[in-house]
Amino acid sequence: MAQCTLKPDTDFTRALKEAGGESLKKCFQCATCSVACPMAPANAPYPRKEMVWASWGLKDKLQGDVDLWLCHNCGNCSDLCPRGARPADMMAAARNVIYRDLTEPSIIGKWMSKPSGLPFLFAIPAVLWLIVWWIRAGFNGGEWFPRAADGRIVFGQIFYGDYTIDPIFMLTFFGACFILARGVMKLWGMFKPQGSLAVIGKTKSWIWHLWDVIWDEAISHRKFDDCDDGPAVTKSAPNRKNGHMLLVYSFCILAFVTAVVALGHWGGKVIPMIKIETPMPLTFPVKILANIGALMLLAGLAILTWRRMSLKPADQVSSYYDWYLLGIIWLVAVTGVLAQCFRLADVIAPAFVVYYLHLVFVWMLFAYLPWSKLGHFVYRTAALVYVRMYGRS
Amino acid sequence: MSNAILVVGGGFAGLTAAIEAAELGHDVYIVEKTPWLGGRVAQLNKYFPKLCPPSCGLEIQFQRIRKNPRIKCLTMAEVTGLSGSKGDYTVTVRLAPRGTAAHNVDFSLLASSLEGETPSEFELGLSGRKALYKSMPFAYPARYVLDPSTLSKSDAARVAGNKFLSLDEKEREIELKVGAIVVATGWKPYDVTRLENLGAGSVKNCVSNMQLERLASPFGPTGGRIVRPSDRRAPTNVAFVQCAGSRDQNHLNYCSYICCMASLKQSLYIAEQYPETHVTIYYIDLRAPGRYVNVLDKVKALPNVSLVKGKVANAVQAEGDRVRLTVEDAVRGEKLTLDYDLVVLATGMQPSLAGDKLPLPLPLDEEGFIAGGEEAGIFAAGCAYMPLDVTRTAQSGTAAALKAVQTVKGR
Repeated sequence: MAQCTLKPDTDFTRALKEAGGESLKKCFQCATCSVACPMAPANAPYPRKEMVWASWGLKDKLQGDVDLWLCHNCGNCSDLCPRGARPADMMAAARNVIYRDLTEPSIIGKWMSKPSGLPFLFAIPAVLWLIVWWIRAGFNGGEWFPRAADGRIVFGQIFYGDYTIDPIFMLTFFGACFILARGVMKLWGMFKPQGSLAVIGKTKSWIWHLWDVIWDEAISHRKFDDCDDGPAVTKSAPNRKNGHMLLVYSFCILAFVTAVVALGHWGGKVIPMIKIETPMPLTFPVKILANIGALMLLAGLAILTWRRMSLKPADQVSSYYDWYLLGIIWLVAVTGVLAQCFRLADVIAPAFVVYYLHLVFVWMLFAYLPWSKLGHFVYRTAALVYVRMYGRS
Repeated sequence: MSNAILVVGGGFAGLTAAIEAAELGHDVYIVEKTPWLGGRVAQLNKYFPKLCPPSCGLEIQFQRIRKNPRIKCLTMAEVTGLSGSKGDYTVTVRLAPRGTAAHNVDFSLLASSLEGETPSEFELGLSGRKALYKSMPFAYPARYVLDPSTLSKSDAARVAGNKFLSLDEKEREIELKVGAIVVATGWKPYDVTRLENLGAGSVKNCVSNMQLERLASPFGPTGGRIVRPSDRRAPTNVAFVQCAGSRDQNHLNYCSYICCMASLKQSLYIAEQYPETHVTIYYIDLRAPGRYVNVLDKVKALPNVSLVKGKVANAVQAEGDRVRLTVEDAVRGEKLTLDYDLVVLATGMQPSLAGDKLPLPLPLDEEGFIAGGEEAGIFAAGCAYMPLDVTRTAQSGTAAALKAVQTVKGR
């Protein structure tokens, strides 16, 4: 029998426990979880092997484990787990540790991992937007809450798109994209097995696999239903599909609206026909779509938050990563909606303050995306593409 | 003040305690809920350590009881009340009507001619029984029981004229004066209907280990042939599912101690009857305490038995009334989905007192095992105290008897 020497990394095990996997040591390797998981394949199923890797502190194994990302966290394994080791939470914790360590600057990952980092995370955009506000107030004759010439509240008076919001957010957006891309490359490198891998049969480019993932899994949310096909579990947990779907679609709608407005604004400078003036009237189709998106966002958030709150702690626990993400999206949504309400109600000071907070939270959502749980939409997609390319399903 | 001892439960622990105390010169009352003594051991085909049939060990105990005038057996009896204190208890016992004469009348002909039938408790639902019945040939007391609720109309007419049978015997209560109490209420097989992912008792040919004992017993529903209950055909492959509800915080949060050995024993039954039949035991850890490791070695040496590490977490019905199991072979890291002719769920021991309210001042732990009571002169024996095999059950019975004797000595 081949011998191999294991080098347990106890710090890694501790990090996993802190990131939400505190019960992982209760596991006695009965393998119930691998059967409980309806998605685990016949060959090298998960999450039993991940549980023993976690317990032994085998960091390399877990970091290069594509199965972490195949798990959609339905919690079946934790429901059936005879020891309350909560494999689902350990899988989530392992993903959290990867969010934390995958990309530079790693200090952000550390701040993101615990509540004590929140003040720093908040301070960066808060100061940034305050400086913008201060400079722009100077342009408006020292007026911090200026009104437009016709008396309306126009946020652009202070947070002027061309010079402030757009450049900052474009930099943030492309910066995040760059960091995410580096993260994906790194992750992909870790997924690759050591040595060489022979792929037999027809192959196709990763682009097509990506297309398949988006078309077959992301749009349909099929895996959430697959998640519910496991062995009978007496405990019932609220389904996440509807909440998650609402959230994803609302993000798509809001991203689309942002793109349309940006195109109308910048494109309008070249082709006057497609120019869009902000604020848009409430009856304007793009505005209607934006408000529909906002309502869907709130509904999705409400469902997911309610679900997390009704989880039984014995089976599944929500980690700080879960609450951070839900919290930041709540703040974005609530400040966004409130800013519009205050603007329409013509209360100028609250309108500007809330809009300022909205910008702070939106910036937090995007700038810290590579280290937050929201990064899963990129990392998980990459992993799903990988498994399709290498024939694991 | 009394120096009599009450033994609650007439299984192996209770019998041992009663006999030991009586042979030391104390009056003993055995209060047994079912119509006969012998408890769970009586339901087995063979039992450890020597793999004798139950009639063997129980026969000796019954002889000792029969010959000892100090022992009074109250069957179909339940303790309903207790007053007084250590050394001076008054126990109320409710006796259910048995409906048959006090002496041993052979009703076998009459019983077999009756029509009405109901699932047999003793056979764990594998077969029916008549309204007039005796569950085992070596039953003690060797009296039949008449269960009026199972009588059909013509049965009732047939029974009515019999002078040794009574349809209107009433339930009655008696009072006993005792100084100490031994509680040997034993265990019940864990309720498979709660094992939802293992079919919740609704999958055909997926039986419990106690049911397999009945199938293997020469006095059982199949005369000792281990067959599939659905079609009475010999199985060509059998799987044992260890820890079915044991070591599981959602069910029994402890190891039941006996199920590994039970499955190893039962794989010997199968290997003996059908040398060609393949047996697979799926386990988390195999527990073969002490000398039992020899049995494990014996089973390992059998050509058609495989031991696979991995807990079965799903059982569903497959075509041909087979049972489809899903399990990860945790050593090889492969998830297997396989069909078996017969599947045995190695369910664990739940203390009989779990979820029950005994009218005794007894502290129970969260699982229903007795945890204390000795200061009140009440002593636990057998599986009411912890999961035990028969040997250790007997030892615990003796231990409880000696404690009880010391409590009442010299009064």
